[in-house]
Amino acid sequence: MRGPVIRRAIGLYGAGALLLLVAAFPLLWMLATSLKPSGEIFATPPTLVPAHPTATNFTRLMAETNFLLFFQNSLAVSLTTVLLTLTVSALGAYGLTRYTFAGREKIAGLILLTYMFAPIMIIIPFYILVRQLGIANTHLALVLSYTTFCLPFCLWLLRAFFQSIPLELEEAALVDGAHRGKAVWYVVLPLALPGLIAAGIFTFILAWNDFLFALVLITSEELKTLPVGVNDLFNATIVDWGMIMAAGVMITVPTVAFFVAVQRYLIQGWGAGGVKG
Amino acid sequence: MRKNALTGWLLLAPSLLLIGGLILYPILYNLWLSLFDKHAFMPAQSFVGLRHYRYFATDPEFWSSVYYGVVYAAVTMVFQLVLGVAAALLLNEAFRGRNLLRGVVLFPYLIPTIVAVILWKWLLNDSYGLVNHLLLVAGLVRTPVAWLGKDYIMPSLIITSVWQFFPFVVVTYLARLQTIPPELYEAARVDGATAWRRFLHVTLPATRTVLFVIILLRSIWMFTKFDTVWLMAGDGAVSRYIRTLPVYAYARSFTYLQAGMGAALAVLMFGMLLAATGVYFRLFRDEELRS
Repeated sequence: MRGPVIRRAIGLYGAGALLLLVAAFPLLWMLATSLKPSGEIFATPPTLVPAHPTATNFTRLMAETNFLLFFQNSLAVSLTTVLLTLTVSALGAYGLTRYTFAGREKIAGLILLTYMFAPIMIIIPFYILVRQLGIANTHLALVLSYTTFCLPFCLWLLRAFFQSIPLELEEAALVDGAHRGKAVWYVVLPLALPGLIAAGIFTFILAWNDFLFALVLITSEELKTLPVGVNDLFNATIVDWGMIMAAGVMITVPTVAFFVAVQRYLIQGWGAGGVKG
Repeated sequence: MRKNALTGWLLLAPSLLLIGGLILYPILYNLWLSLFDKHAFMPAQSFVGLRHYRYFATDPEFWSSVYYGVVYAAVTMVFQLVLGVAAALLLNEAFRGRNLLRGVVLFPYLIPTIVAVILWKWLLNDSYGLVNHLLLVAGLVRTPVAWLGKDYIMPSLIITSVWQFFPFVVVTYLARLQTIPPELYEAARVDGATAWRRFLHVTLPATRTVLFVIILLRSIWMFTKFDTVWLMAGDGAVSRYIRTLPVYAYARSFTYLQAGMGAALAVLMFGMLLAATGVYFRLFRDEELRS
């Protein structure tokens, strides 16, 4: 009996190590490169762990490029998008679960259908529309586009969470004399917190990662967000790999930090709705 | 359940306004636009009917973009599926460090596309890349492979994309695996079924529906993928070896500034997806009836 058990353990841990390598090694390699001085980056054989770690790539990235500006822009746009998306979708999901009206189910279905449209399929009319509205080349245009494209998913996710919260809890609060706003704020929202956090993270990641809308809608250098800004950096005549990898690390940090902080909620939300990409 | 319809509508209004104004209206406007000759910025437009569609019917660039798009979507989907299902099966077993690994495996999917692309361009760099170094040291190649040259740009794009998107399959498949009652496996084990047979006769039937959904979603999302493909080659010389339909539609609209033609390509893309989805559902239903 021992033989098979040990073989199984070896198989499991071997496969686990392989999976860890596939998923994490490229990212660790990026981190290692970002910490190497330029001579070591091109050394043969390459060093796995930097022999002479340095922060030069990072300090040069901050000092010599617009990276910090792009970072601020990305952060401002992403956080505004999260706030707007959560507000709009929480209101909508509450309306969808707590009130009955004709066509309610049809509307929920239609919203799900719009989830199937990839931005690339409507980017041209979208661009023309944004120009007509006079908001081309503004952060507002980015916030509105990200909010709109996150809404179908967030509405469905929050709808599922609101449906699972018993109506009686809310009614009990109303009986106790709270008005509806208070009942929602103190009873419903805390119970839906995992859903709100999951929706918030999805929205943040979509806004933080987006390339297409930022490429098409923003033309001024000082309004650019990270993905487009870093791509411009990459397309400079000579690629400075150390600096590019430092930029890669810097863009990845907020996502990973957010994710680690709220992983529990995220997996829960993911199970409830799936996420597009 | 309250019956105050007006309040319900009011709460939904902001959502409906945004989705209606910024998704549904552009979809309809796109259809309309595809019948016109229109510059991407200039307001002037002239009605041309179905001329763009007739043009694309014999446009070699269009057919090559369909070909590259189908190859890219199909190959990346198959590899994501195999890798993702294998990883999910592993992460469904009990072992130490499993929860950590479940988190780490998601990272490629969470990081921005720009990071995934520059990262792989560095790994695949012909002179200094780690991949070529390892291949040379292992004696698998004699001279460095030009991964980002025209011959290998598609495989490189596929590697990058599979790495970036397989975690979606892992999470979705794992979520379903966790709901399979352990008794089913116990029973199979008592019957003396091997691990492979247990997978074939217990796991696979139980996860048919989720596999159906995963294949559908991943195929659609890979066929409409823009950023990974675009960032891999931009509009440089090798870009035409990975110019998929979304990239071609983008180039028509924003490089050649032919908004009407770009819109027609978007309609064609949508039409193809709709047709493929229809066929796929039919196949699955027939399969369902037979079993």
